[in-house]
Amino acid sequence: MSLAILCRRAFSDLRQNFCAQLITTMVVSLSILIFAFFTLLYFNLQHFVDRFGAELGLVVFLSEDTPKDRIPSLYQKLTGLSEVEKVTYISSEEAFGRLKNFLKDEKEVLEGVDPRFLPPSFEIQVNRAMFQLKRIKQLAGEINKWPEVSKVQFGQEWIDRLYVFSGLLRTIVAITGLLLLFSAAFVVTNTIKLTVYARQEELKIIRLVGATNFFIQGPFLVEAFWQGLLGSSLALGVVFACYRFFQGIEAKSELLRGVNICFIPWQYTVAIIASSVLLCVLGTALAMRRSLRL
Amino acid sequence: MISLESSIIRLKDVSKKYSTDNTDNVVFSGIDLEIEKGEFVFLTGPSGAGKSTILRILFCAERPTSGEVWVDGVILSSLSKAQVPYLRRKIGVIFQDFKLLSNRTIFDNVALSLEVIGLGKKQAEQRVMQVLDGVGLAGKTSHYPLQLSGGEQQRVAIARAVVNRPSIILADEPTGNLDLQRTEEVIMLMEELNARGATIIFATHDDRLFKNTHRRVIKLCNGRIRI
Repeated sequence: MSLAILCRRAFSDLRQNFCAQLITTMVVSLSILIFAFFTLLYFNLQHFVDRFGAELGLVVFLSEDTPKDRIPSLYQKLTGLSEVEKVTYISSEEAFGRLKNFLKDEKEVLEGVDPRFLPPSFEIQVNRAMFQLKRIKQLAGEINKWPEVSKVQFGQEWIDRLYVFSGLLRTIVAITGLLLLFSAAFVVTNTIKLTVYARQEELKIIRLVGATNFFIQGPFLVEAFWQGLLGSSLALGVVFACYRFFQGIEAKSELLRGVNICFIPWQYTVAIIASSVLLCVLGTALAMRRSLRL
Repeated sequence: MISLESSIIRLKDVSKKYSTDNTDNVVFSGIDLEIEKGEFVFLTGPSGAGKSTILRILFCAERPTSGEVWVDGVILSSLSKAQVPYLRRKIGVIFQDFKLLSNRTIFDNVALSLEVIGLGKKQAEQRVMQVLDGVGLAGKTSHYPLQLSGGEQQRVAIARAVVNRPSIILADEPTGNLDLQRTEEVIMLMEELNARGATIIFATHDDRLFKNTHRRVIKLCNGRIRI
């Protein structure tokens, strides 16, 4: 059977069973819509965690007895690290000045205190493109071993919490996705079963005139392909429209400015559409297994 | 006597029984039958004698309980499920209840047999129009089956059965629902097809159809054949 005949038969079936086809497509679309929303939420949180983590940076405190002439070489050593984007040296005096500014009206508590009582430090801005919590932890550990360094500090607790939360969200997305895929597969399979049942007499006649299993199954598979493609594209279209809407709100709102909402990466978008198509085609093949037995 | 070489259909010691719970309902047993290529035979017998069952076995809708069946040189028991459709393409089947697709036009119903074998659109159109013209329905191609009379529907079913030029035509009580005039039309159509070389098995319980015929009549009675 040529592809043209297959598509013509599928299109003719589609017209004749429009309602059932529409319901199946809507079920696929709704399932993918819910899944895509969770995925969008997950990617935005992940994006936020990454940005937040990169902005926190590292503070490397030096030992009080570190000779001043070692500072340039340490600076060179730090800037030479691939994960480091920018290094700023903060002397004891500068740190004292910052503390004074921070205390504002209560700066008198610092009266009589040695301006060099705070240790000198390096403030490190991490390279965003290379940001990974694991690597930052590793880097902090490595720098901490240098003899001139007394302590390395970064917002580990915050980042850890955010990562736990994003990990939890990832699990929720995965479980929801799996459940939704199963429910969509169940509905698609049963809708197809009902369609096949309603057309049993027709299929019997087609079989009697010498139709092969492929001739009978072919149009159903083509319909399933379109259902999966249209259903998922429609859902992703709605999610994209919502994304653009939130982007508009973000641009207008002072509070949200800089949040930088992101859309689901294109690789995942393609994967969602492909999974949807595969699910519909497999569901149909499964539903038709019994009716194809002689 | 029919020689083995020229027989297109052969049944050897064929039995069919349906088993339900603890009882066996034997339809027929130990049937031997040979039909020559190009022959027109009537298969007759009372209702429930197994006429339709024999036809269903011939187009592989059922398998015999025992025995061997040859159709056009092929042993049916050796056929795999995937090969069955290809054998069916050599056989045109006409049913008493027409078995037409009510949601398709007359043209599409007839074209179905050609669609299945993958014939080109233009060629198929030509062939369908030729066959519909032959059964006197060329003017009703865009009608739906339910818009036609019983006789016309049966002619559509015949057109569908012969459009792909099968070598065997199995007609299962094709005149059962028709009046005398329509019945005669169908018999004439069958005669025409047979004259063109098709082997025809015409199952009927109506002995008026073969009373004055010179054709071979195979009678099924009490699960046995009486010629």
